[in-house]
Amino acid sequence: MSEKTKLGLFEYDVKNGLGLISYNVDEHEHAHIIVDTKKCGDCDSMMCVWGCPAQCYMFRDVGLDEMKFQYEDCVECGTCFLMCTDGALSWNHPRGGFGITYAYG
Amino acid sequence: MDEEVDFDVIIIGCGMAGMACAAQLLKEGVEGDRILVVDRGEPIGAKNLSGGILWGRELDELEDIFPNWEMDNPGIERYINHKKIGFLSSEDAFIMEGKFASWDGIGGTEEPSMRTGWSVLRAKTDSWFAEKLEEAGVFIMPGIKIDQLHIDGLDHTSYTARDLTSPADDAGKGAAQKWRIDNADPEIINAIREGRICGIVQDGEVMTSNVVVIAEGSNSILTRSYAFDSMLHAQSRHGIILGVKEVIHLGEDVINSRFGCFSGDDERPPSGMAMEAALAIYDDMAEKAWAEYPVTAGQVPRAGGWLYTNRDTLSIGVVIQLDSLPSGIHTYDMLEAYKSHPAIAPLISGGETVEYGAHLVPEYGLNRMPDRLVRDGAVVIGDAAGLVYSNGAVIQGQNYSIHSGKLAAKVIAKCIESGDFSKKSLGQYKKDLDASYVMRDLKRFKTTAKFLADDANYTWVPKFMGKMFNRVVREIGEEKITVEKQALRLRKEMRRKDKKTKKGMGLLNLLRLGMMGRKL
Repeated sequence: MSEKTKLGLFEYDVKNGLGLISYNVDEHEHAHIIVDTKKCGDCDSMMCVWGCPAQCYMFRDVGLDEMKFQYEDCVECGTCFLMCTDGALSWNHPRGGFGITYAYG
Repeated sequence: MDEEVDFDVIIIGCGMAGMACAAQLLKEGVEGDRILVVDRGEPIGAKNLSGGILWGRELDELEDIFPNWEMDNPGIERYINHKKIGFLSSEDAFIMEGKFASWDGIGGTEEPSMRTGWSVLRAKTDSWFAEKLEEAGVFIMPGIKIDQLHIDGLDHTSYTARDLTSPADDAGKGAAQKWRIDNADPEIINAIREGRICGIVQDGEVMTSNVVVIAEGSNSILTRSYAFDSMLHAQSRHGIILGVKEVIHLGEDVINSRFGCFSGDDERPPSGMAMEAALAIYDDMAEKAWAEYPVTAGQVPRAGGWLYTNRDTLSIGVVIQLDSLPSGIHTYDMLEAYKSHPAIAPLISGGETVEYGAHLVPEYGLNRMPDRLVRDGAVVIGDAAGLVYSNGAVIQGQNYSIHSGKLAAKVIAKCIESGDFSKKSLGQYKKDLDASYVMRDLKRFKTTAKFLADDANYTWVPKFMGKMFNRVVREIGEEKITVEKQALRLRKEMRRKDKKTKKGMGLLNLLRLGMMGRKL
């Protein structure tokens, strides 16, 4: 999960920043975000991809043909839920004790 | 009073609002062991993130519970006596700054002498607040996520938490959005939306209370689920801002010398600087994105940047209005572009990033606050209630949260005395909030949301300000002209450049912007 994304102005890998945060990742059956990726195929705007600050959503922006989602790096901001226009997302906070742990905040 | 309940008050969320509510309840004479504060972070503060400057001396009133908070709270980093606001464009930075002796709070000034702003790191501040509350006898339970509220007479196993905010399988797009819960038994729906709230459900276990205080923050799942807020609002990105932030370690000495800060003494923490700027630096990124993804072509990303000094770190980040984000631009790249701006890069150079994070800010103001803040047995406070206000020059949120928590606690304490927890008596909280400076600010500045959402502030305004200042103060051997003439000439030049700027700087638009701007 450490593809380097080439951008208009510079090369930057957000995963470097995410590597600094400590997570307690929950099992897949308790994933706090569930994406019905079947609904993503026709989406032109892919706003979850652009909005997510943790690169949890990857799609045509990195040359993939279908939506690839992983919740492990999620910083629990809730942006994707607001951005999705296709009702593909079910969002909740992780179970108590799981997910991100900020040391500074 | 009902002796059967586990607690008088259960507070969901131990952020600024929740902790202030608990502290004020203690002050009003409610026994600590009758108050439970739950938070999904473990330790407390682990899920909390702000920009972050705490403005206002709201904590003074809670000095009994949080003694010497300014010096002893390890998350209160520096007091702010140096403020900068400005505009960044790709070429220029035009930044106004003020350093105020009265903000040192040591007297001898004509203006009121007080320290009124502190850079804060919330993971640290909030765990300290929780520790003090615990010492005062309050039950604090970290690592607890609340799935459901307990509703009088409703079996919580008759629906699942996930149903409340998940789209239905037959959900349509946009306004026709349908939620899974819409397909449930009408009686259950009615109980969820109108029934008396009398506790919390976690992992199938019920804990009861007379009042539930919802202080869950900006990602307000419970507020939406239990119909304080309309579900049609739930998925709207309008008026919501995403803050993307890094904490960069530089060391105390470097910060002191680089930003001209005072290193603190027995009575004061070190001093610090707070900077905020409107950004027009994404032209290149936007053009490229528009070409690649025509679906949002022409949409200008509206963003601001900030930089705050902590004791030995910097908090740097961008706030992005989510409804303005075009396809083709990643939010984290917007932070990176800001960090590499020529006016910002030298300020953070040599630093090491120690944390990355992001958080939503409910900056919609009165335009989209939850429909109600009170139900039978429950109140909503802080970010969950949408109590945030900004006009670009001042940014208020954490202080509003504390204030709303205190107001709610005062009303709840009275309700505990009378034993009446109906929405009518708890409704006094909404009345008090309406009469307080929080809602009065929000009302007075209702139009600022519109002003801040105007593309002009993220396109030609920062450019114009930078160019204007450049031309007025430079000496390149050209003949001097008056500021007025320069402004007219620059406007003419900029309008010639492209159609959008031509329209944006048209007389009517200028007038409109001016009318809104003077109400800031």
